[in-house]
Amino acid sequence: MENQVWQLSNPLLGIIVVFITFVVFYVVAYLSNRASTSVQDLYATKGGVGPITNGLAMASTYMSLATFLGVTALILRLQIPFVMLWIQFILAIPLITIIYGTSLRRMGAYSPTHFVRERYGKEASIIAALWMILVSIMYALGQMIGIAVTFETLLGIPYMTGLFVGGILIVGYVTIGGMSGATNNAAIQMVIMALMFIVPLGAIMKAMGGTGWFFPPLFYADMIPAMLEALPTFFDYKYPAKWYFALIPALTIGSLGLPHLAMRVYTSSSLKTARSAMIWFALALGLVFSATYAMGFSGVFFEYTTGIPIAPGDADKLTIILNLAYNPEWVTALVIAGAISAGLSTLSGNLLAIGALISQDIVTTLKPDLTNKAKVRLGYISIALGGLAAVLLAIKPPAFLIVSILWAFGLAGATNASLIIMGVWWKKANRFGAICASTISGIVYVVVSPFVFPKIVISGHALTDSMGLSGGMLAVPLSFIILIVVSSITNRIPSLMSKEAITENDGLVERIHGWSDINPQRYNSTFGALFITSISAVVFIWSMMPWAF
Amino acid sequence: MGAYKKEVWFTIIMSLLFLFSGHLGLFFSFFPVDGYFLGFPIMYIIPILSGWFGVLILVIVAGKIGNHIDNEIEKENQENAKIGGRGVV
Repeated sequence: MENQVWQLSNPLLGIIVVFITFVVFYVVAYLSNRASTSVQDLYATKGGVGPITNGLAMASTYMSLATFLGVTALILRLQIPFVMLWIQFILAIPLITIIYGTSLRRMGAYSPTHFVRERYGKEASIIAALWMILVSIMYALGQMIGIAVTFETLLGIPYMTGLFVGGILIVGYVTIGGMSGATNNAAIQMVIMALMFIVPLGAIMKAMGGTGWFFPPLFYADMIPAMLEALPTFFDYKYPAKWYFALIPALTIGSLGLPHLAMRVYTSSSLKTARSAMIWFALALGLVFSATYAMGFSGVFFEYTTGIPIAPGDADKLTIILNLAYNPEWVTALVIAGAISAGLSTLSGNLLAIGALISQDIVTTLKPDLTNKAKVRLGYISIALGGLAAVLLAIKPPAFLIVSILWAFGLAGATNASLIIMGVWWKKANRFGAICASTISGIVYVVVSPFVFPKIVISGHALTDSMGLSGGMLAVPLSFIILIVVSSITNRIPSLMSKEAITENDGLVERIHGWSDINPQRYNSTFGALFITSISAVVFIWSMMPWAF
Repeated sequence: MGAYKKEVWFTIIMSLLFLFSGHLGLFFSFFPVDGYFLGFPIMYIIPILSGWFGVLILVIVAGKIGNHIDNEIEKENQENAKIGGRGVV
């Protein structure tokens, strides 16, 4: 059978719906703008966001365009392994909150690099900031390409036009609204995404003959026998246990190093609201994630039971294809608006993170005597520059879309996660350890990725290497080992560590945990450091052993 | 147990519980099981349910205990201040 062309027959309908959603986002950004007078206002909304708005904004920032496009495509291609890969993403905000988010919120940090600067000094923070900019741009790049591709393939707008018009519109509304506007918009976008994803999915399931259409995320068990008849291997795990284990260092720990997620914790009005926001985050994200698996399931079900093949190049459009096949065109237009919303909310988080990294963590670190007004202006310019960089990089897009986003997780894990986690929980972690860990592990991670030296890879399984799973399993534990070992050695060289610096660091660690005194017994466990080093060494060695796919 | 130890153990145990709850796919890849639950294969639906409702229950528990530990740290701070304490941060 010939491959079908999946596109709206009336692109104007889609353009009108997308235009209306952009108008809504601009109005919200404008109304939310509280005339940011300091960098804290710009990046952390004066820390005044309630739990429901923040929880929804957390989920929205996290659920990128990939949820609508790339994930369902990879479920279509990989089936169960990718569902298992995606499930663990829900852990990011809860783990960030309990491991270091509340501590950094207590400190008044507006980005993880702000903490790195206070904890390890200027040099370490600039290295960490440079890596984080690369992470954020890779992440933003995926969204920017996704938005332009959506415009191109679904609405008929040329790629370059979509890229530049979309890019300018997004940078515009992030700059107008700052974190306050982005947060309120992200909460609205979460609701739009959930509705535009789940309600049409219910209609699709009903048309396919499913009886559980009234709650599509979980009620499709009656379609299982037909699925197993059409594709008996759908529920097979397919990959070895090592592949499932690699998800922990590469993606779960990796997500702890993502700046735009951690920044959402700092916007909470108090520690209690930060913890309450986790509940709304888990509720909203679990709902949409489960619906995503159901959409992926429906896609496979559609392909194997109807016999209509979905070409590899169309896999990213699965959600839209199912809507075009079973729902009226105006519904598909709304789904496209939902997909664009998903891209926008994540992109705005990325751009704010890039803005904070460039203006605060690099320029202000090098030139600390800037006036407050100059810092805010610099923040706005940095946000625009970040957007521009993502647009320019997307002119010649790499062949991978979601893969670039997943790869960014591993890089964040290798370069930042160990610095933040050990910095919060282990007083002996020092700047020498941090600088070596971030630099060496980051370089190792980049070198073993197939994008730089295609012949130097860890697993030899193309998708596993390009998603950064094998590289993360190697570089993330390496980062912990280097940080602990180098810190332990340099702490014994008196000429390298002044007593004042040690006392100041100890005071910072105690303070961010809520203590008002310094107790040498606290956050100083040698056993803990040894234990983490041993576990990391085992994982590091295991990553280099054959993967046996 | 002092507030410090509670804070450390709470973070370790909760992190492990979160990891377990969100990575049941890993568990089943080591220990595969047959059978169905609510009409779905167990190895498919249990990780999904645990990755949603399991995590949801854990965040509720984590929020409550986290708030409780904050209060205990504050209480110990006040007691330390009364007895002279160590070096103030």
